[in-house]
Amino acid sequence: MRKHSMIALGFVLVLSLFLSACSSKTGSGDNASGDEILVGVLLPVTGNNATDGKDMLNAMKMAVEKINSDGGVLKKKIKLEVADDGCDPQMATTAANKLVSKKVVAIVGGYCSGSTLPASGVFHNANIPMIVAAANSSELPKQGYDTLFLINGLVPDQAQSGADYFKDKGAKNIAIIHDNSAYAKDLADFAKKSVEENGGKTIAFEAINPEEKDFGSLMTKLKSLKPDGTYFTGYYAAGGLMLKQFKQKGVSGSFMVGDGSYSPDIIQIAGSEAANDLLVTATPTANFIPGAEEFVNNYKSKYNLSPGPFSALSYNGMNLLVDALKRADSTDQDKLKKALKETKAFEGIGQVIEFSDKNTLNQSNFHVMKVVGGEFTLEK
Amino acid sequence: MDVFLQIFFDGLVMGAFYSLIALGYTMVYGIIKLLNFAHGDFYMLGAFIGYALLSFITGDGGLNAGLLGIGAVFIITMIIVGLAGIGVERIAYRPLLTAPRLSILITAIGVSLSLEYASMIGWGASYKVYPIKLSKNGLEIIGAQISFAQIGLIVLSALLMLGLRLFIEKTIYGKAMRAIALDQSACSLMGINVYRIISLTFFIGAFLAAGAGIMSGVYYGTINFMMGFIIGLKAFTAAVLGGIGNITGAMIGGLVLGLVESYGTYYLGGSWKDVLAFGILILFLVFKPTGILGAKEMERM
Repeated sequence: MRKHSMIALGFVLVLSLFLSACSSKTGSGDNASGDEILVGVLLPVTGNNATDGKDMLNAMKMAVEKINSDGGVLKKKIKLEVADDGCDPQMATTAANKLVSKKVVAIVGGYCSGSTLPASGVFHNANIPMIVAAANSSELPKQGYDTLFLINGLVPDQAQSGADYFKDKGAKNIAIIHDNSAYAKDLADFAKKSVEENGGKTIAFEAINPEEKDFGSLMTKLKSLKPDGTYFTGYYAAGGLMLKQFKQKGVSGSFMVGDGSYSPDIIQIAGSEAANDLLVTATPTANFIPGAEEFVNNYKSKYNLSPGPFSALSYNGMNLLVDALKRADSTDQDKLKKALKETKAFEGIGQVIEFSDKNTLNQSNFHVMKVVGGEFTLEK
Repeated sequence: MDVFLQIFFDGLVMGAFYSLIALGYTMVYGIIKLLNFAHGDFYMLGAFIGYALLSFITGDGGLNAGLLGIGAVFIITMIIVGLAGIGVERIAYRPLLTAPRLSILITAIGVSLSLEYASMIGWGASYKVYPIKLSKNGLEIIGAQISFAQIGLIVLSALLMLGLRLFIEKTIYGKAMRAIALDQSACSLMGINVYRIISLTFFIGAFLAAGAGIMSGVYYGTINFMMGFIIGLKAFTAAVLGGIGNITGAMIGGLVLGLVESYGTYYLGGSWKDVLAFGILILFLVFKPTGILGAKEMERM
């Protein structure tokens, strides 16, 4: 049995090598056939993250519809080829290979960092440019791929926006709490760095177990340290409970949470009274972006839903690709890569896109939101 | 000094929850030598049934839940979950009473998963917010603040534990429980209905856990289907700490664990809380497996 499976594994490995070799050969050249330009979309449209994935796909479809009704690009219509990555690294690799074999011109998508990482490698080998609309692990740009363009702010950007807000408000002594998850720990580490670079002081750097409900003794500790601001980088369930106990104990200063807690549930869990003045560092949903009213209305009338957290970014990603195609005046991958790289002040919804030398945003799209009367509002 | 006292109160609140759940662990172990890993899920079940009943009387029925209403919900919930405890014992554990201990232990884990995921199907995977809000008012004692809700919680747990103590020591059923803990076969020869007493033990254990569950829901405000898991582990630690099988030990173990965690969080940092709790468990298992109150040949219960 074991021998058979080893042989099968070897066979699959050889086959996949062969396939990827093929695809890198066919990678360059003119991939637009007939009167259509094929654009690949890599998103989790099934599984736990399907809600956000479908929402991003909706926004992309909306963008494509508008572009095509305006006459398309390079005198051709855009056609989307959707592949499901299910937020799973293995599924993502298969899906990416499928897109490569369909000879798409470029990719827009990428929701989970974990699945975007391996997929971005497949596209890099095939020399296909990818615009990542949501995934924002700092591991992505670290790979140094010239085909990968990130239009969502990264973890350090978020930490910086939080630290800057504290600085503006004159909050010097900051307590930082994370929940030991990779994401929250990462954000907390960067927040500590940013706070200290801004001349502030990290007076506490604590971890909690998000499965627990009692943060009483931790709040007592914070209270005795008298922070000017507290930053919790974990998720909303623990965030809501912590906020409630923070207010019950009467700890000084303001309470800020990261985008893992950017959900109306945090207000419900903490109670609207305790949630008042809660600060959130996040990329705002389209509802809060000035100038996005038209997008929000169109989205609502088309899908009968409110746009989700990454819909504006997905819409921007698709439009950015079209803009680059126009500037490149070709679907040749090298020209397209160059055009994307040279993007100058592209005005998307709620963000201006320009790339740094690592193909990440020059200007962070993170904002600070504030809860007023039980609702999120844009603070800064 | 005020901080020291404040941490003491914080620890007392946590300890009260641990003690109530540890009691069920220790009673079941005392009687049939089973580490009932499904026990934390009775706590979860209590929180959810309390939630359903409270939503019904406050929300859908349009009535306002007075103190009387809450009290009634409290008792009804505890009885329902107590009966669920009997059901679980009858279906899952009784057929295995004479089987090797390992079989019944694995069954307990299966029961735990079944209860968790059945609740997930019934109530959904997301967090539910309890329909009552407690007032934040309280007392100040030498600079430390303690809310009326916390006082109520500690008093209620103390009453439940006192009630249990009296039940075990003064009633004929309590006497039967203690007897079964000593020698099961002798008991059945003496005409004690062993199965009935085992059922009763499960009823009481689940009853107390449900009380803790609903108190937790009211006090902290949110519940979800996995809430019983980590507190079940902590309560198990408390039970071992006090000497498993020993009822007074479970009470003391819970309080000690709550206080250790509370002071540990303050002096060492929040990340050390679980390390301390489970570190103590390991130390006790290695150096004093019988716990604080346990003797080598102790009288269990």
